[in-house]
Amino acid sequence: MIIDINFIGLIIASIMASAVPLILASCGELITERSGVLNLGVEGMMIIGAISGFALMTVTGSLIIAIFGAMLAGVLISTIFAFLTQTLITNHVATGLALTIFGIGISAMIGKNFVGIPGKEFPVLFEGLKDTIPLLGPILFGHSIVFYFAFALPFITSYFLKKTKIGLIVRAVGDSPESASNQGINVRLVRYACILYGGAMSGLAGAYLSMIYTPQWIENMTGGRGWIALALVVFSTWNPIKILIGAMIFGGLTIIQFHMQAIGVRIPVQFLTALPYIVTIIVLVVISRDSRKIRLSTPSSLGKSFHKDN
Amino acid sequence: MNTNLKISNVTKIYPGCVANDNVSLEFNSGKIYALLGENGAGKSTLVKILSGVIIPDEGKIYLNQNNLKLNSPLDAKKNDIGMVFQHFNLFETLSVFENLIIDSDEQRESLREKIDTIMKKYNFSIDLDIPVLNLSAGQKQKVEIIRCLIRSPKVLIMDEPTSVLTEQETSELFLSLKKFSEEGILIIYITHKLKEVMQLCDEVAVMRKGKLVSVSEIKNENIESLANKMVGQNLKTIKKKKVKTSSDQLIKITNLNFTSEDPFETNLMDINFSVNRGECLGIAGISGNGQSELFQVLSGEIISEKNSIEFNNNYIGDLNPQERREYLMAFSPEDRLEQAAIPQMKIFENVALNNFKSSNFFDNGLINENKIKEHSKKIISDFNVNTNNIELKSQFLSGGNLQKLIIGRELITSPDLLICFNPTWGLDVGAINYIHETLIKINEQNKSIILISTDTDELLKLSDKISVIHKGKLSKIMNAEEVTSEKLGILMGGAN
Repeated sequence: MIIDINFIGLIIASIMASAVPLILASCGELITERSGVLNLGVEGMMIIGAISGFALMTVTGSLIIAIFGAMLAGVLISTIFAFLTQTLITNHVATGLALTIFGIGISAMIGKNFVGIPGKEFPVLFEGLKDTIPLLGPILFGHSIVFYFAFALPFITSYFLKKTKIGLIVRAVGDSPESASNQGINVRLVRYACILYGGAMSGLAGAYLSMIYTPQWIENMTGGRGWIALALVVFSTWNPIKILIGAMIFGGLTIIQFHMQAIGVRIPVQFLTALPYIVTIIVLVVISRDSRKIRLSTPSSLGKSFHKDN
Repeated sequence: MNTNLKISNVTKIYPGCVANDNVSLEFNSGKIYALLGENGAGKSTLVKILSGVIIPDEGKIYLNQNNLKLNSPLDAKKNDIGMVFQHFNLFETLSVFENLIIDSDEQRESLREKIDTIMKKYNFSIDLDIPVLNLSAGQKQKVEIIRCLIRSPKVLIMDEPTSVLTEQETSELFLSLKKFSEEGILIIYITHKLKEVMQLCDEVAVMRKGKLVSVSEIKNENIESLANKMVGQNLKTIKKKKVKTSSDQLIKITNLNFTSEDPFETNLMDINFSVNRGECLGIAGISGNGQSELFQVLSGEIISEKNSIEFNNNYIGDLNPQERREYLMAFSPEDRLEQAAIPQMKIFENVALNNFKSSNFFDNGLINENKIKEHSKKIISDFNVNTNNIELKSQFLSGGNLQKLIIGRELITSPDLLICFNPTWGLDVGAINYIHETLIKINEQNKSIILISTDTDELLKLSDKISVIHKGKLSKIMNAEEVTSEKLGILMGGAN
C-alpha cells in the first residue's frame, strides 16, 4: 500500500483541528487561573458557547454574529461565576461545578429545537494554496480563521504574560492578592476581567465545535473536552506552550485511535479510548518535572477567595 | 524643603475593639520618629491609615497643610508616602525587577537605570533578575525600600522592620535610614523593641490599647521608662538563676542529616549535639536557615535514622511524634494555630489531641469527654489561661493564651524534654514574661529544654548552652555566659 504524502498531511491537519477547542479553552482558563481563580466551569461555558453559536447561526444566518455571540454567551455565563466568587466570595470549586451543570442543562433545553438542523459551511482561508506544497500544504492552508487564531494564541498568551504590564499585574494578583491590593492594584477588577476572558475563550471553543469542527448541534457535544482543557492547564504547569504540546498529543491520539479502531487492531476499544487521556497526562507530567519551575509558575493564591478587609 | 505630616483626631473602631482612639500626632522631616507599642496597641492600624490600606472612621491627615484623602494605597503613593510593611508585600514568584516596576508607569529601560543609581548610592547589591523567593529577608526588605525610593517619597514608614533581620543587617538598615533622614525624608519607625528606639530615633510616641500615651524626645527617656509607658505598669525583670547543671545526658543527636525534596526547604547537614538533664540548649539563627526542619526532625514529623537520635538510652529516630511523646518528649511548634492547635476545634478537643496511652481519654473508641474536660480545666488553672470556657474554639484565644494552653498541655504530663520553636513569637510583654518564667521553672525541676528561637535576647536570657544554625549547619556549642548578642549575630550571618 502506497501512502500518499498528502494523506499524512491531511491526518496531521485533522489532528490539529481536533486540538483547536482544547487550545482555546485552556489558554483562556490559563489566564483565569494565573490571576488566582480556579474556574471549573469550562465544560459548561464551552457547551453554552456551542449552542449559542449554532443557534445564532441558524436564526440570523450570520457567521460573524454567531461567533461573537458565542463568545459573548461565554462572557455572560462567566459573569455569573465572577459575581458569585468575587463579589459574594463563594467557594471557587463548588461554584465552578455548579456552572458546568447549569451550562449542560440550559444548553440541552435551548438546543431542543436545533437538533437535526444541518450547519452551514464555514469559509476557509488559502484554499487554493493547499496543493502547492506537498505534505505542508494541507497542514498550513485551507483552515478557518479560528484555527489560525488558536495556534497563534499560546504564543500571544506567553508574550502577554511575560512581556506586558497587564500580564505582569495578572501574575502578581495570582501570586499574592494581598500584596497586590496593598500596592494599589484593584484585585477584584483584575480577577473579573480574567474570568470573563476565560469565558470568552471557552465560548469560542464551543462555537468551533458546533460550527466548524462538526457543524451541527448534538446534546452534550463537548463530551468532556472542557475537563481535558482544565487538566491541560494544570499538567502544563500554567505554561501556554506546553498546553499546545499537550493539546496536540491529545488530539493526535484521539484521531489515531479512531483509525486504529477502524482498521480493526486487536486492542480492547476501552483501552484505545482511554489512551489519549493517559498518555497526555504522562507526557505533561514528565516534561514538567522541574519542581523549581512548578513553584515559580503555579499561581500561589489559586482557588483561594480574596476578601479585602477594611 | 521641609515636610510636615499631621495626624489629627484619628479614630478607627472594629467590632469589639477600638484600634485607634482619637490619635493626634505631628511629624517634621529631618528627624526619625519612633512609634512604640505592644502588639494590638494600634500602631499598625495607624500606619495602615497613613498608607491608605485602612480608611479611618474619623479624623484627618495633613501633609504640608494639605488635607489628604487616602482611600487606597495608590493615594498614599501619589502623595509621596512610602511604606515598608512588616509582612513584605512582595510577589515571591516574580523577579526582583518585576516586583519593582509593577506600580510604575515609566519605561522599563529608564527604570532599570534609576534602580541601578539608587542601588549604587546606598550600596545595595541585589540581582534584579532572580525570583524574590530566592532572596534573604534582608534583601527582600531592601527591595521594598527601593520600591519606595523609586518614587522619591517625602515620608517613609517602616513597620517592625528588624523582626526578620540579623544584627548586621539591622545596623546596615539603620545607616541607610539615617542617610535618608539627612536627605530630608521624614521617617516613621514602628517597633516594640526599646533598644532600637534608643539607638536610632530622635522622638518617640508611645501607644497603648489604641490610645496615644506620650510623645517625648529620646534624650529624656531610657529603656525602663519607655517599657513602663508601653506596658502601663512596672515590669518585673526575670532572670535565670545560674545553677550547676548535671552531667547526666538526656538526649544525644549523632550525625543527623535531612535532605528535602522541596527545593525551598533547607537541608540539614551533619547535626551533632547533646543536652543534659536540667539544661536549656538554645538554637539561634535567622528564620529560614533550617530551624523548622530541625524542629520537625526532633519532633518526629520527619522520620530519620533510628540511631541518629538517642533519648534516655533509647534510639528513637524512627518514631513518630505520638510514640516520642510516650518516651516523655513534648513539643511546642512555631505556628500555634496551624501546627500546635486546630483553630476550629474547642479547647478541650485540642487538649485531647495530645493523647497518651495512660491518659485514658478514649474508652473502646469512644471519647471520654468528662475526663478530657477535667484535664483541660486543670491546664487552664495551672497555666493561667485567661478563660473559663473550655468549649471555646481555640481560634478565639489570644496568642498569649493559646501559647499558655499549648505549653500547659505539653507540660502537665511532666515530660523530660520540651522542644519549643519561637514560643513567644508575636506575644505581648506580659505573656512573654509568663512563658519565660515557666521555661525557667522546667529547668529548675531538672527537666530539659531545646529552645529554637530567632529572638537573641530570649536565647541569652534562658539558655545554658547556645548554638547557631546557619544554612542547615549547627555551629559549635557554646556556654551561654561566653556569648554576646554581637557574637551570635556574626555566626547567624554565616561567618565563623
